[in-house]
Amino acid sequence: MKSIKKDHLVPVLNSWAQRFRLFAPVRGINGEFILSHFQKPNFDLDYKKPSLPPKSTLMPQSEVIFEVENNGYREVVNAPQTMLFGIRACDAAGLVQFARFMSRDREDVYTKSRTDETIKVVMACDGPQTETCFCTTTKSGPYAKKGFDLQFYDMGDVFLVETGSPRAEALLAEKSFFDQDDGKAAKQIKGFKEKGVRAIPVRETVQKAMDRLKEGKAVENVWERLGKKCIACGGCVYVCPTCTCFNVYDEVSGPGRGHRMRSWDTCLFGGFTREASGHNPRPDQNSRLQRRHEHKLLYYHRDDVADMLCGCVGCGRCSDYCPVHIGTLEVVDAISGQ
Amino acid sequence: MNKTISICPFCGCGCSFYLVTEGNRVIGIEPSPLHPMNKGMLCIKGWNSYEFVNSPKRLTSPLVRKDGHLVETGWDEALRTVSSKLKETQAAYGPGALAFLCSAKVTNEENFLMMKLARAAFKTNNVDHCARLCHSSSVAGLALTFGSGAMTNSILEFEDADLFLIAGTNTTAQHPLIGTRMINAVEKGAQLILMDPREIPLAQFAALHLRHNVGTDVAVLNGLMNIIIQEDLYDKEFVASRTEGFDQLKSVVSRYTPRVVENISGVSAGALEKAARMYAGAHKAMLVFAMGITQHTTGTDNVKSCANLAMLCGNIGRPSTGVNPLRGQNNVQGACDMGALPNVFSGYQSVADKGLRKKFEDAWKVENLDEKPGMTITDMMMAAQKGNIKAMYIMGENPALSDPDSSHIELALSNLDFLVVQDIFLSETAALADVVLPAASFAEKMGTYTSTERRVQLSHKAIDPPGSAKADWEIICAISSLSGYPMPYGSPAEIMSEVNSLTPSYGGITYPRLEKGFGLHWPCPKEDHPGTPILHKDKFTKGLGTFMPCEFRPLAEAPDEEYDFLLTTGRIYYQYHTGTMSRRVSVLEREAPQARIEIHPEDAKRQGIRNNDMVEVISRRGAMKARAEVSTIVPRKVIFTTFHFAEAPVNMLTNPAHDPICKIPELKGCAVKIRRSA
Repeated sequence: MKSIKKDHLVPVLNSWAQRFRLFAPVRGINGEFILSHFQKPNFDLDYKKPSLPPKSTLMPQSEVIFEVENNGYREVVNAPQTMLFGIRACDAAGLVQFARFMSRDREDVYTKSRTDETIKVVMACDGPQTETCFCTTTKSGPYAKKGFDLQFYDMGDVFLVETGSPRAEALLAEKSFFDQDDGKAAKQIKGFKEKGVRAIPVRETVQKAMDRLKEGKAVENVWERLGKKCIACGGCVYVCPTCTCFNVYDEVSGPGRGHRMRSWDTCLFGGFTREASGHNPRPDQNSRLQRRHEHKLLYYHRDDVADMLCGCVGCGRCSDYCPVHIGTLEVVDAISGQ
Repeated sequence: MNKTISICPFCGCGCSFYLVTEGNRVIGIEPSPLHPMNKGMLCIKGWNSYEFVNSPKRLTSPLVRKDGHLVETGWDEALRTVSSKLKETQAAYGPGALAFLCSAKVTNEENFLMMKLARAAFKTNNVDHCARLCHSSSVAGLALTFGSGAMTNSILEFEDADLFLIAGTNTTAQHPLIGTRMINAVEKGAQLILMDPREIPLAQFAALHLRHNVGTDVAVLNGLMNIIIQEDLYDKEFVASRTEGFDQLKSVVSRYTPRVVENISGVSAGALEKAARMYAGAHKAMLVFAMGITQHTTGTDNVKSCANLAMLCGNIGRPSTGVNPLRGQNNVQGACDMGALPNVFSGYQSVADKGLRKKFEDAWKVENLDEKPGMTITDMMMAAQKGNIKAMYIMGENPALSDPDSSHIELALSNLDFLVVQDIFLSETAALADVVLPAASFAEKMGTYTSTERRVQLSHKAIDPPGSAKADWEIICAISSLSGYPMPYGSPAEIMSEVNSLTPSYGGITYPRLEKGFGLHWPCPKEDHPGTPILHKDKFTKGLGTFMPCEFRPLAEAPDEEYDFLLTTGRIYYQYHTGTMSRRVSVLEREAPQARIEIHPEDAKRQGIRNNDMVEVISRRGAMKARAEVSTIVPRKVIFTTFHFAEAPVNMLTNPAHDPICKIPELKGCAVKIRRSA
């Protein structure tokens, strides 16, 4: 086990920033935290989880996938060496599910190459970031069990640093990392983890809703009630660490010339499932919302989810950022009749 | 990957987000989590507002017409041509032969400069913009009754209202993050009265839906006021201390008994009485309206009637009350504020006022500013067709698709000696121009925008414009300087300093203050003034509020035996105005790729029209085809479609008949016939 003094961290980050495209929590112009390029003056350790998960580093909201020239095409794979510093366990779990889905039955070369080139440094939580955190329920936090290269535990003046991958060893060669007595550190970390777990109570309604969906016993009219107010902004999907859907379109600059693009998409948009005839198997917002939440809570793929509870990692962002309060927490309450 | 703070370029909500860029490309959007307007949220348009910026169809070089075709040229030739043509026209026909259109899409600084170019460099007040087509009646109606023609309250207040009276706004579609606040408030117990002929999504949340006949708003509003007065439910103290003209109001509205109103509007007497008692009984009632009220030949009367009702019940000057016109574009409020109107300088300072003219003459170092109000867009187009307007400079507008009776607009624009269009795309209007100037999009320049709640906000430059495109302010400066009136501004901040010094309501809205925080609500006269989220708190801007009772007047063109349907037009959630931007966003275009004509099932059956059939709609002015959407959203004998699609240009059909005061055309109702198309 290693440790690093907090006031030694910035020089280390500076040094990592020479080797990686380093993303870290950065304070924006109005005091809000965003995950952005590490900038010393705006970097701050006193941060909450940013409003967007780090999935855009694996799949940007829009990206060029082919370049077309003279009627020929060239695949554009762009995977710079990247480090995500200070992401939370829920987001690390989200990246795991994201990457697994994108390579399960067919390998997506774009996200695969970026996943391979991305070092993940997790900052374990010793309590909820917001009142909507429920990672203890979804078994995806408040500390990462896998899917990280390094994990930092905040012990006041120092961080204890846990290694999660062979490639991470090299990162700890920086002289600011000191060896720690393993036994003592393990005890401290155990205490830290227990404190975090205690501080984020399990939301019983999640499991209850999952059971009800399995039995086909969701509260009647739940999708009608929620569907009526959904404005189809797509926000819950865009902020979701495990939502992977994308749309493909072409930017045509001229005859035989242009870009094939892909951009984030969502099953909440009617056009996502509308067929060429005009028929839509999910004809209204009720059925689309049902589909999205059943994908998270009922029809998730065991291989993607691994040892987590379901297709949701409990970050709570959909509850934070839905304009009409149709986040997972509200949905499971509604399904289970709470 | 960089992140630059910006303001959404679509509607007037004023949501803030970071533009995520990679190199010189915008690759995504990240909503600002702390901004009070959107708190980390956006609508579908906002989340996808980056894509059109990257479009390969962007204009990248100036174009000039040679042998009938637009061909690429350098800035030198383009600017010289514009400047010399404008100068020649001015010399040959006088300044009144020139017309300038500002834009509800560009920054305050750019609108200010365009209005300055018209007034100081070319000595004409012929300057206007598309607010003429959306809220000129709000500006006129509220200025006359309250003294200030803008939204009286602010958006956050929607969360705490007890009651909403929503007239002619499909809020969840056009101002989504205001619409969602209404839904949340209703779920917390607020009541919603909807006044709309169509069954829009908010109808599901309405305690009462008054589906009045199109164009009968004055009758319904008078009817409400009559009941409130008859039943003694009005706010006597407010009426006595804050208003004037109550007796006239009482005498006019007394003729609008529930029975009379029912005959005119189709709203049952019982529903009207219930609505009147609900509105009068609410402690904090917000009256909210948009195009359904404004786009009528009686638009100003409709707005005055809304103002009358709010004053009658004392719903002015307190939190979560007021009269709230929802402005449809990111900077339509700002363009009006900057004097992109024929009768006022920035801050609604009248051009007819000698003292105010002197102030601008001194600041601008010119003499003899035009003292006569100039022409509105409506008048400019008529004058162009008659040959009285000879040259027009259009910035960021698409009148060929947005204005009523398109055939007439095209004739008018084609009849000009010289047309210059400045835009980010080759719009339908730009395709008619003699010179096309490529402009920077919102992501490619710095500047301020004023949202519907009068919140002035700074947006930053994230990437460079494509090709040789330039920011609108840079282009205007160059043309002005070439035309003999130097505009040596080095930055938008310098322009804003001039706005600050000449515009009392913007006096304290400076760049250093806007750099941090979430903008400032005008009026904000001094550097230490906190801004004004709620207008007319202790007294109206004009002193006493004036009741201005109006008599009901019917639509200019009502259906008859031959043209037996009423066509009403509007917008949908997934597209935006003439589609210049939204139709270049793949997901929006996928959601709504074509125009649909809503028709009631009974009417469809009678006409032999099935869902998705191609139908033809014909008015006295033109015809269009689109696919039918058979739906009970529309009442019987009313059809609805949008103006987003150039393939189905509904404004070929609409009636240019306009409001006598503000000249807004009656886009919300004209007579048509409809038939199944082969």
